[in-house]
Amino acid sequence: MIHLDDITYVRLGTPDLDLAADFATRILGLEVTERGAKSVHLRSDARAHTLCYVEGDPAYQVAGFEVSDAAELAAAAEVLEALGHRVTAGTPGEAAARGAHDFIGFDDPSGNRIELVLRPEYRGPRYYGTRDAAITGFNHIGLNSTDPVRDEIFWTRVCNARVSDRIGTIPLMRINRIHHTLALVRAEGPGIQHINHQVVAREDVLRSWQLLIRHRVPIVFGPGRHPTSGANFIYFRGPDGMVFEYSCGVDEIEDETNHRPRSFSFEPASLCMWGARPGGLIKGT
Amino acid sequence: MTEPTIVAPAYARLPVTDLALAGRFVTEFLGLPPGPAIEGGACFRASQRQHDLSFVTDAAATASGFECRDEAAFDRAAEALAGAGFPVRRADVGECAHRLVDAALLTRDRSGNAIDLVLRPHYNGRRCHLLRDTGIRFLHGIGLRSTDVEGDLAFWAALGAVVSDRVGDITYLRIDDHHHRIALHPADRPGVLNTVFAVESLDQVMQAYYHAAEHQIRVLHGPGREAVSGLVFVHLAGPDGTIFSLVSGNDDIGARQHRPRRFPFTTESLCTWGSVCTEVPEWRTEAAL
Repeated sequence: MIHLDDITYVRLGTPDLDLAADFATRILGLEVTERGAKSVHLRSDARAHTLCYVEGDPAYQVAGFEVSDAAELAAAAEVLEALGHRVTAGTPGEAAARGAHDFIGFDDPSGNRIELVLRPEYRGPRYYGTRDAAITGFNHIGLNSTDPVRDEIFWTRVCNARVSDRIGTIPLMRINRIHHTLALVRAEGPGIQHINHQVVAREDVLRSWQLLIRHRVPIVFGPGRHPTSGANFIYFRGPDGMVFEYSCGVDEIEDETNHRPRSFSFEPASLCMWGARPGGLIKGT
Repeated sequence: MTEPTIVAPAYARLPVTDLALAGRFVTEFLGLPPGPAIEGGACFRASQRQHDLSFVTDAAATASGFECRDEAAFDRAAEALAGAGFPVRRADVGECAHRLVDAALLTRDRSGNAIDLVLRPHYNGRRCHLLRDTGIRFLHGIGLRSTDVEGDLAFWAALGAVVSDRVGDITYLRIDDHHHRIALHPADRPGVLNTVFAVESLDQVMQAYYHAAEHQIRVLHGPGREAVSGLVFVHLAGPDGTIFSLVSGNDDIGARQHRPRRFPFTTESLCTWGSVCTEVPEWRTEAAL
């Protein structure tokens, strides 16, 4: 079994690096740690970067997960290859671009590009946002799935993910104490469905809501409150159509051994207890 | 400082043209159950009391009610207001019956807002079971329009209210541990600007916001958070130009020394989250977006 310890970064291709960097700093509130000719690295917590925009096709979307050591990385490569996944080892140059000691890449069963990362770099100075978004860190992603049942098996049997709760066919999965680090959402093809950053307080979500309105940022869903995790949230659209989320108050699973996933019916009330409607964020809502 | 003679808002009596229509807003949207039948109006409960809100068709019968601590305070209030040159008259039996109180002083501030100072508002044995789960807990406060803020301040000072803070010339007054229970809003005419109900939590404020959007009820301001009190609010358009506000949070400033602060009349002062109000002249800090 592949042991994922945490979600590390997201890499996104964009045809307009300046636009993406502007949004990521001025609206989203991330901090630029490295600005190259073809890429910009942004951080949201103690790590050197948690989001990287690279010049290119927006279809290039990668999610990186941290594994504990070189043996784990080698074992993961073996497991994946045995299952027929084509595993590529990162070159030293590619690893350096990711601020990682080493990494491997592969496609999950839906075709999402996943990287397993060794020793991602941290930075001494604390994260200091470009604006007062009160971000505490990069927290989780939603991942497109062309077959959520098949993909849930991949993430929970081949990897160490555990289902915390379900909304209809959407499994919310954890790889540590946090309620979910990964959610699988039915879609036509691969891609990152949303990128979540946590904020300090419930009101920070609502404060950002007003800023988003002022900057005419399309709001996809929210502000609202998830009945599953208890978190307050708002989803909004960034460059190249990528959906970002701020949320606060994602529960931790206190009792790892005895937690039983609950199933919520697939309806708007299962996604928001305040009455917000998911505006096309998820197929079928 | 002498103890305020008034302890809490008792009721808002608001003028409407259509009692049935206004009543529907209150029962169906706010979820307030009706109180006893009253002549020329309709009354509603938001607490254990019989009467927290009423609508009247006679605009002259409009008033904001505040409860006096006890008989001694009632007498002191009458004396203080008369001494400061405000009109004071004791309500007759019929007027008390309409208000569901034992006694009332009918008076006016300098702007001409009718203020009732009441003794022993009537309670109901049954607890207030809301018609809809809106989480309303009690009548938190009343916002008044003021054509003469200094003059009206003298009125409230005579009753022992003190200034908590100001946003521009909007003046927030307290009579207990809550940051404010009365707000004076500079305006070109008198009248009740908004009636404020406390709800259980942020959840209920947000639920009201979404419920309003789905039921063609206009959101005039918010959801947002007042810089002065820290309360989360949403201001909603009620019938006939009335404004109903739902607030949540802890605005207890307790016994600690509080020196009134002055915030500029800006969007951020009225709402730290940055929500903009364009439709209510008293809260309009900038042109429409």
